[in-house]
Amino acid sequence: MNASASASSGSRAAFRRLLFVGGAVLLLIIFAYGWTVTDIDFSVPQQPQRQENVGNALRELLSPRVFDQDYEILNTTTSFGMSCSDGWSASAPAVDGDQPYIIITPTCAESGEVVTIDGYNFAPDSLARVNWIGSDGERRIRQVIGASEDNFVTENDGTFQVQIDVPRIRGSAGETHTIEVQGRFPIGSPRLSETTLLVLEKMSETIFLALIATAVSILPSAILSFLAAHNLMRPIKIPLGNLLVTFILFPVGAVIGALILGGVGKFAFNLVGAPASTASAGVILLFGTAAATRRLGANALNDHPSIPRTLLNAALGAVAVTAGIGLLGGVSALIGRYTSEGDFGFIGVFLSSVGQLIDLIIVLIAAVVGAFTLSSMGTTLTRDALKEVSLPLSRILGAVLGGVAGIILLGAAATVSLGAAWMGLLPPIIAAALGASVLPSLFQRFFRGGQRQIVLSRTERLLNMALSWIGALTAFVVTFAVLNVGRALVEGSAPPRLVLFNVLGVDLYLYVAEAMLIGAVLGAVTGGIAGTRSSFPAGSVLYTATRTILNALRSIEPLIMGLVFVIWVGIGPFAGVLALALHSIASLGKLYSEQIESIDSGPIEALESTGANRLQTIMYAVVPQIIPPYIAFTMYRWDINVRMSTIIGFVGGGGIGFVLQQQINLLRYRDAGVAVLAIAIVVSILDYASAAIRERYT
Amino acid sequence: MLIIENLTKTYDNGFTALRNINLEIPDGQFVSIIGLSGSGKSTLLRCINRLIDPTDGRILWNGLDITRATDDELRQIRRRIGMIFQQFNLVKRSSVLTNVLSGRLGYMNPVYSLINYFPNSEKERAVAALQRVGIADKANNRASALSGGQQQRVGIARALMQEPEMLLADEPVASLDPATSHSVMKYLQLLNEEDGITVLCSLHFLSLARAYADRVIALKDGRLEFDGLPKDIDNERFKQIYGEDAVEVEIH
Ligand SMILES: Nc1ncnc2c1ncn2[C@@H]1O[C@H](COP(=O)(O)OP(=O)(O)O)[C@@H](O)[C@H]1O
Ligand SMILES: [Mg+2]
Repeated sequence: MNASASASSGSRAAFRRLLFVGGAVLLLIIFAYGWTVTDIDFSVPQQPQRQENVGNALRELLSPRVFDQDYEILNTTTSFGMSCSDGWSASAPAVDGDQPYIIITPTCAESGEVVTIDGYNFAPDSLARVNWIGSDGERRIRQVIGASEDNFVTENDGTFQVQIDVPRIRGSAGETHTIEVQGRFPIGSPRLSETTLLVLEKMSETIFLALIATAVSILPSAILSFLAAHNLMRPIKIPLGNLLVTFILFPVGAVIGALILGGVGKFAFNLVGAPASTASAGVILLFGTAAATRRLGANALNDHPSIPRTLLNAALGAVAVTAGIGLLGGVSALIGRYTSEGDFGFIGVFLSSVGQLIDLIIVLIAAVVGAFTLSSMGTTLTRDALKEVSLPLSRILGAVLGGVAGIILLGAAATVSLGAAWMGLLPPIIAAALGASVLPSLFQRFFRGGQRQIVLSRTERLLNMALSWIGALTAFVVTFAVLNVGRALVEGSAPPRLVLFNVLGVDLYLYVAEAMLIGAVLGAVTGGIAGTRSSFPAGSVLYTATRTILNALRSIEPLIMGLVFVIWVGIGPFAGVLALALHSIASLGKLYSEQIESIDSGPIEALESTGANRLQTIMYAVVPQIIPPYIAFTMYRWDINVRMSTIIGFVGGGGIGFVLQQQINLLRYRDAGVAVLAIAIVVSILDYASAAIRERYT
Repeated sequence: MLIIENLTKTYDNGFTALRNINLEIPDGQFVSIIGLSGSGKSTLLRCINRLIDPTDGRILWNGLDITRATDDELRQIRRRIGMIFQQFNLVKRSSVLTNVLSGRLGYMNPVYSLINYFPNSEKERAVAALQRVGIADKANNRASALSGGQQQRVGIARALMQEPEMLLADEPVASLDPATSHSVMKYLQLLNEEDGITVLCSLHFLSLARAYADRVIALKDGRLEFDGLPKDIDNERFKQIYGEDAVEVEIH
């Protein structure tokens, strides 16, 4: 007993050792393979040519052309006698106040002898050189003794004393030559270089690019973060019947909203313009908002609001919201039109573009408002009725509503997937998600008598999982085959658009119709088994969908997004803003939602117990807890966005990256150095500031 | 009148925390619920205002079936049932006044919560509630700056904002020292006697139940083990409820 136990523990130890050695060998192999794949070769960086190149590049990068200085070159000459006879005398130097002059000693000498040149009134600490001008008028540079370059540097009082050899020039004896000193004199004071000015301009563009991208991402991220927080979403369950009614009415509401409310919004937008109608529009806006607020609030307070009144309020609310947004758009367009001149014209330009944006998307907004309104009206109308239906009727209703919802769901997916070949995977994936629930619920229904099992044994759980997978795979494969997705994937072409028939001017394609049929079957079966009264984990589904989308978006680098946006809106900071904003939404949405998940749930429970509704609970129990971390993470994101925006220009997204890339391509490393320096300064300042602010709020 | 019929709660993981509880609680009673930790006290209290959905059974309050109420009806019901918690459940970063005001949300237009608006009359009501629990001077402090006993009094003031007919207190003094415990219990007693509010209060210590309760309900493993007057709990009953090894301690 003991012996076998120790033997088994011994063999286990040996096994573990073997595993360890095997693991180490595996790591080594992976590492060695990686080494070759990444072309690591230490002989390359040792080549003298490369070393010289990198040395030069670094030297220039580290000598950024921040300042510029203009110079003029002044020539100062004096004559010199070559092997002169007695009686030769040099021309006297023109000693004149502050003009530069030189004195040669001796003024006459043999070839090869050393003469001393004293210079006065030159620019201090600046470059100068000595030229020898012979009788032929030719100018030859004469290096001063002890120097390795042509130039020498004057003293800090503007004088110098250098020595040169008298050159050996055949037949020059007795001639008079000229010694010339070229001195460099600065004009004016040093100033910022052209490069620096450009870099400053682009740097401010970069900072604002990051600022705008961060700012516009805050609101969408904050909204998404609530949907992506499992502690808020998981408890949300609604009866399947209500969900289906809502889902079906959503697209209907969107169409009605776009048609009717869109008109209202446009009308409100255009109302603004003439002073009289503008003023009346303002009054309408003010009173409309007040009235709508009171009505909606009163409705929520009323113990048992009558159904017609609820419906009326919802409709009025929808009209008020759309008209209000339209009026706001009109007002900002109007103000923009009158204020886009002058020093603060940019404010007018901004308002104009807000107005333009609202004008563009008012129909879209109307569609969304319409969708929400109609589906909430539907819920109001059917909620009580659905609660009372008998079980068999609830199954039939479930099958009918589920079928319709399935048609809408897969029809929409198929329509989207007409866009591109690989989008064709969307309908099979959605079908699989629906199919996953069919078999387990069928099993539950027919073998367990429809009893809701609270506790599942291990085998039952495994069985359920297996059934889910079988159902999902079957649905996927069938949809894949019916819709011919394989062909689309291989050929890289979207599904064919064979028109089946035309409904109210909209073509119904065979491909979409097939998808709808599959959706109808899956939806009807799922809805029929479950019945309208079963509770549907709407919160969990929404949570999973939001998280999936956020994660997918986050995995695409802003540089890649930038490439696409450049195609859409052209090269420039606008493309950069869009790319960074999109990535920030995904990233902040995730970070924010993690903050919601880590809050203290006690206050939520407390407020729910007082009878506060969901909005109130969020405003008073959740929001106060998340504001500080939201501020901290927003700062953090701005910091990241500034870093990203310094390179988003590499793909044409505007900002300093564009300048940097150009200078590097032109091998102008001293100018590139200025950009690098600016990036380093801005990034480290922001790093420090954002850390300081984050510290305050966490 | 609160009537609980055949109340059973089985959690999602299959654990049955309440088994077939039947109770009748007349208005104005001070009822203490005792039992070991894990015996189901919190579950029972949370079933009453449906912070937890019961698996089976009915809860009738003034003739209304709480277990079948719709979301809207449930909010109407919850408005009249205050609740206070062992961990106080205040928003620590918010001011004491805001915490108290939030007890009134069930009566407010939800749209106002978007702009954090409360009418002056409500603010006065909140100050009055704080005065009743003796900490009106702390109204503008952050909740986190208060001591445990003070925080629980804020919790009581928040419940008072609801003008409750019933108060559910889930081990309201378990995180407090004995002296503070008594002061908090005295406020509950005051509300029970002056305002006629029905109080259901779960307690760890029998001595507190003896001091304040009209009636004691004991739970054991989710079952009703005892229902009667505090003085009827003798040593034998005590050992039944708390187990053989338990010794009754006094809280002063
Ligand atoms: N959400 C839950 N899921 C599963 N079990 C739970 C949950 N909440 C409580 N329980 C269990 O139910 C039992 C009763 O809990 P509770 O009502 O909190 O008891 P008490 O308040 O008397 O200490 C405990 O055993 C606890 O572990
Ligand atoms: Mg408890």
